[in-house]
Amino acid sequence: MGKYFLKRFAAAILTILLIATITFFMMHSIPGGPFTRERPVPDSIMVRLNEKYHLDDPVFIQYLDYMKGLVTLDLGPSFSIIGKDVIDLIKGGFPTSAKIGLMATVLIIILGIPFGIISALKQNKPIDYFVMFMATLGVTVPSFVIATLIIYVFAGLLGWLPTYGLQNPLGYIGPVVALSGYSLSFVTRLTRSSMLEVLRQDYIRTARANGIKEIVVMGKHAVRNALIPVITYVGPMVAAILTGSFVIERIFALPGMGGYFVESITNRDYTTIMGITVFYAAFYIIMILLVDVAYALVDPRIRFEKGAK
Amino acid sequence: MSSIDKSKFKFVTEKEKEFEEFRPSLTYWQDAWRRLKKNKMSMVGLVGIILIILFAIIGPLFTTMSYSDQINDFKNLSPILTIYEVAPETYVTLTADYSLILVDKKGNLIERLEIFELTDSVITSEERTDLTKVLSPAEQKKRNDEAKKTLIKAYTYNDELIYLDYSGAVDKELDYKYVFTYKGVVTNEKFRTVWNKKYPFGSDNLGRDVLTRVMYGARISLTVAFVASLVNFIIGVTYGAIAGYEGGRVDNVMMRIVDIINSVPLVLIIILLMVLIGNQGLWTIILAIGLVYWVGMARLVRGQILALKEQEFVLAATALGVARKNIITRHLIPNAMGPIIISMTMMIPSAVFTEAFMSFIGLGVSAPMASWGTLANNALSGILSSPYQLFFPASAIAITMLAFNFLGDGLRDALDPRLRKG
Repeated sequence: MGKYFLKRFAAAILTILLIATITFFMMHSIPGGPFTRERPVPDSIMVRLNEKYHLDDPVFIQYLDYMKGLVTLDLGPSFSIIGKDVIDLIKGGFPTSAKIGLMATVLIIILGIPFGIISALKQNKPIDYFVMFMATLGVTVPSFVIATLIIYVFAGLLGWLPTYGLQNPLGYIGPVVALSGYSLSFVTRLTRSSMLEVLRQDYIRTARANGIKEIVVMGKHAVRNALIPVITYVGPMVAAILTGSFVIERIFALPGMGGYFVESITNRDYTTIMGITVFYAAFYIIMILLVDVAYALVDPRIRFEKGAK
Repeated sequence: MSSIDKSKFKFVTEKEKEFEEFRPSLTYWQDAWRRLKKNKMSMVGLVGIILIILFAIIGPLFTTMSYSDQINDFKNLSPILTIYEVAPETYVTLTADYSLILVDKKGNLIERLEIFELTDSVITSEERTDLTKVLSPAEQKKRNDEAKKTLIKAYTYNDELIYLDYSGAVDKELDYKYVFTYKGVVTNEKFRTVWNKKYPFGSDNLGRDVLTRVMYGARISLTVAFVASLVNFIIGVTYGAIAGYEGGRVDNVMMRIVDIINSVPLVLIIILLMVLIGNQGLWTIILAIGLVYWVGMARLVRGQILALKEQEFVLAATALGVARKNIITRHLIPNAMGPIIISMTMMIPSAVFTEAFMSFIGLGVSAPMASWGTLANNALSGILSSPYQLFFPASAIAITMLAFNFLGDGLRDALDPRLRKG
């Protein structure tokens, strides 16, 4: 079993390095350097700039430097925000993004799972139809529309929420709701269908036939089994929520990482694009790894099957 | 032996005849179609999809304007016009950015009235301030100050001025917001509200027709979705089928590659690809989405092929000497078609979504072309004054998503062999 985790861990590290490599060469194959502007920069300045950022070294040396930096978490200086390192940008933006992402995740788990369970237990009753209607609406309306509607209705017309920023604690409501909309609906649907599947199983009937109390049958037998597919979704979801926050952060004008990322794309700020991509990818891979570990701990079938390989 | 007594036979009754009839045998697809038709939601979805496609293809033929035509006089016109009668047979409507537009009684737009520069003499004009009473200088000043506070703009019409005043939000009793004064006549009650006939969905901040733009946006969004799904289908099915059929080391290497691609957020790869290829319009984004989303399809097809290739009909085909390529294309893939089609239906809305997302962060098609995502993004800045500019493209996205989701859910039930008896 330890071997299985070790193998997974090694694969994760390898994937991160591979992604960093691919991103590096992708960025370097783009025609025109980071300092190409509409108004050409004088040659002498260009030489100095290239020297300062080590862009005159052979690509391979640059690659080695970059990888060396990556290991020590030094992602190089930002090309467009002078005097800032990419890692500083991440350090500055990540807490905001993470805070909102975490709140959204908590909201999704404490609302989505119970709604899914209730909906499954009351299948084809009005409450089920209502929950499913809301959940369908949630997957069909893009998050940026939800965000704008929140601003329009609650900040504009009613004036209950601030239109931007996080100075006021109420400012968290808009971004968190907009961010969790899609995944909340998805988790609700997933929980419902997996719960319905489990309720049809023989062991539930056996448990009931044995005279176990309904609440124990549900809590101990049904829900626990029904949550297995939900766990698989939650890990990548956390990372997806962070990538989804690009747009939300822009709409609500939040000082998060997503804002920097979108900005770096428009500015063609290659080091920042590279740094944030690698950071996101690493985060995503670690989340998947954690889920796999949790999964193996929860479900012995997986552990043994994979261990045998 | 020559003849059998006829009385030994009897005719079957009509009822027995019916019993004798066999249910016609249906192919897999006929059966699926029969069950799909029974599912109301998925039929709603199917009809919705057909309507959206018609809207995108035929719609633009019926509009007089192209998606890039700008009429500077008619900016930010709402789909519902509120008309005021400032003088007998003279009707005007006000836009969100205080342009006054002359209209006829039925609400057809005529022209934009010129804005007159506000000077002190305009503000304190006799037409607006009641000068029948003789006022002391202090009273006069107070009145002028008040007049200055409420006046928004003045417009010229037939060499006379139309004054636009704010009715003053202080007075909650008033249910009207604006006061017009023309030739000394004060109008504050609206004459009627009508649908905007020239711009059924309103016009945007450059005076372009939102309806036409949503139609052209539908073309772009749907093209992206369909072509990306097709690319995804071709790459995914080929890749998955080869990996699944070959098995062994080939399968192992191919699936590890898929694992690696899958362990990066797909949106990130698309963004990187878009930055790498450079934003060259429609085809870039199709390529980027198509090149990334095939991973899921490849996994699905591989799983299907792995299960199918152990079956007897494949063994029979191999024994008959059918070439490997033909076994895959003629025998394996057609049998895996059900799940593939379901995955395609689900892929289309997510491509629409991704495209909208990319356009929203500025990596979409370039102006003046617009997809639904760009339209939504452009509407963002004016959301408080003209929310309809966001409402229509956003509803278009939502309706499309809904239609494809309904159809996909129905297809999943209809194509699932386990539910075939039901």
